Amino acid sequence: MARSDRARLSPAALRMTALLLLIALYTAYSAGPFVWVAMMSLRTTTEIAASPYGLPWPAHPEKFAAAWFDSNYDTYFANSVGIVLAAVAILTVVGAMAAHAFARYRFRFKGLIYFVIFSTIIFPPQVTVIGLFQTMVEFGLYNSRVGLVLVYVAIQLPITIYILEAFFARIPRDLFEAARIDGYGEWAIFWRISMPVALPAISTTVILNTILLWNEFLYAVVLITDDDKRTLPLGVLRFLGDQLEDVGMIATGLMIAIVPVVLIYVFFSERLIQGMTAGAVK
Amino acid sequence: MAVVKLEDVGKLYGGVRAVRDVNITVEDGEFMVLLGPSGCGKSTTLRMIAGLETISEGELTIDGRRMNEVPARDRDIAMVFQSYALYPHMSVRDNLGFGLKRRQKDRALVARRVAEVAEAIGLTPYLDRKPHALSGGQRQRVALGRAIVRDPKVFLFDEPLSNLDAALRVSTRAELVRLHRELGATMIYVTHDQVEAMTMGDRVCIMDHGEVAQIGTPMEVYLNPANTFVAAFLGNPPMNLMPATAAEGALRTGTGQAPIAGLSPGRRVTLGVRPEDLAVTDDPARALVSGRVTQVEALGAETLIHVATGDEKPVILRSGRAAQARLDETLHLAADPAALRLFDIETGRAISREM
Ligand SMILES: Nc1ncnc2c1ncn2[C@@H]1O[C@H](COP(=O)(O)OP(=O)(O)O)[C@@H](O)[C@H]1O
Ligand SMILES: [Mg+2]
Repeated sequence: MARSDRARLSPAALRMTALLLLIALYTAYSAGPFVWVAMMSLRTTTEIAASPYGLPWPAHPEKFAAAWFDSNYDTYFANSVGIVLAAVAILTVVGAMAAHAFARYRFRFKGLIYFVIFSTIIFPPQVTVIGLFQTMVEFGLYNSRVGLVLVYVAIQLPITIYILEAFFARIPRDLFEAARIDGYGEWAIFWRISMPVALPAISTTVILNTILLWNEFLYAVVLITDDDKRTLPLGVLRFLGDQLEDVGMIATGLMIAIVPVVLIYVFFSERLIQGMTAGAVK
Repeated sequence: MAVVKLEDVGKLYGGVRAVRDVNITVEDGEFMVLLGPSGCGKSTTLRMIAGLETISEGELTIDGRRMNEVPARDRDIAMVFQSYALYPHMSVRDNLGFGLKRRQKDRALVARRVAEVAEAIGLTPYLDRKPHALSGGQRQRVALGRAIVRDPKVFLFDEPLSNLDAALRVSTRAELVRLHRELGATMIYVTHDQVEAMTMGDRVCIMDHGEVAQIGTPMEVYLNPANTFVAAFLGNPPMNLMPATAAEGALRTGTGQAPIAGLSPGRRVTLGVRPEDLAVTDDPARALVSGRVTQVEALGAETLIHVATGDEKPVILRSGRAAQARLDETLHLAADPAALRLFDIETGRAISREM
């Protein structure tokens, strides 16, 4: 007995305990705000004002129904889903094609084109948004969901191409040549070899773009004015008045917006990490 | 049925000529090996035949039809890559059927053909596996099967055995030979391994610095190398080469002579003799070369004896395992004059012995 007690206090066990403690602290630190918002989403603004850190008891789940049906969150949700799906689909296909071309072909001004695409990364969105606003107005795309989709494609395209190109470049050339000899043209090779082989990288960009665009606020707030065209991150505007901030409803709206992202993380985080660290095909 | 003909074919990369003046005719049903050291242009030549590289100069015809501008997919060729190039996201079944599906719309026919080939090369149990779940030998088989399924006019191989371990390489070699006999197809096989070339090829085309050095049956090129490059490339150890000078009715090496007449006296040549054509003699007057033993390599089946003759390289004698040579002992080596080969000392080209 005494022996096993002493064994439990071995240096290795101590290290393990310290590590677990550290992880627990870090988890509390990073999950804390989330838990706080989650609790507030079930409480009314009056309750929150009385006790900001109080427990959600009694709970008010009906606030979710109120946000969804009375505060237009059903529309915001549909807009977010539509806009993000469209943008991510276009990004994935166009990004993969560009990456395929950069990785596989030699053509004139390749270096220059590459530079022009990636130089846009250095500008902070606050700089480009003004110019974009002007452009959107001129093309009649201001305050339109199609316009927002196009903007989303534009801002995420460079990084998408960058991630995919690095992966595509590592696909052995022999694979494409074997497909050529097997009778396939460039278009078929892109769809039947490049895309499936690059699936780990493609799913990485899909998840990354989905999360980023789902949460996107700045471009959306500048380029969309109609309430019926707003996306979820803009939903909070509804509860922000000149005098009053309906903190309770803001928290409820935030939860509606956040939950899909959390779900994506929960189900795909492993895949995401795999895709970012995976080597190419053996 | 396919005759592959290359006429004055060359390849330029930027201004650099990687392959020049290649003239090869591969007969219908022939197994032609392109052999040469790394970087000599074998793969480039094969890839031009495949349609994976453009042909900078000359003409390629298959069955008399000009192929220079015909895309790879319309040449009716199949290729086995050194890396196998299996599609990693497809099962063995789909890998085998991928090329066929493009040409044959009837899925049932494709499935039957795939099953037939898989059975023939022992892949049936693995049809539903992905390439990453196969051993190196099995992957190699899939690569081979993928070529066979399509029943092409011409098979092209680019060092298909170099990623296998030694034992598997030997058995696969034999299997490829059997396959060639069964299919009767025209095959062009690139390798840097002379054993593969000697054992598999109907004919061997030896390449050097982008040029064809010699084409012939394995025995022809081994026995009668067209130049010193081929002489020094083939054989392990390769042919002994040494400078020699013609005299009246004889050819003198630094330490001996051979009764070879017909060369103008005073002409300097390179004399070649295979290690197995040399024998120890007691009579110094009959010696082709003499010298001190510097190394004895007993390999079991044979013994290699290195003899320093004063020339740049030692002369190597291949003898039976019973050979008893001591280091530093002086040996006199003789050879049948018929086994000697002469090369021009400047150009390295073989000098005909029929003068
Ligand atoms: N894409 C290329 N660009 C420039 N040079 C090349 C290219 N491919 C091959 N070469 C050159 O051509 C020569 C022949 O190469 P290769 O046919 O691959 O040789 P081998 O297969 O006999 O080893 C080499 O000197 C190589 O450096
Ligand atoms: Mg090669």
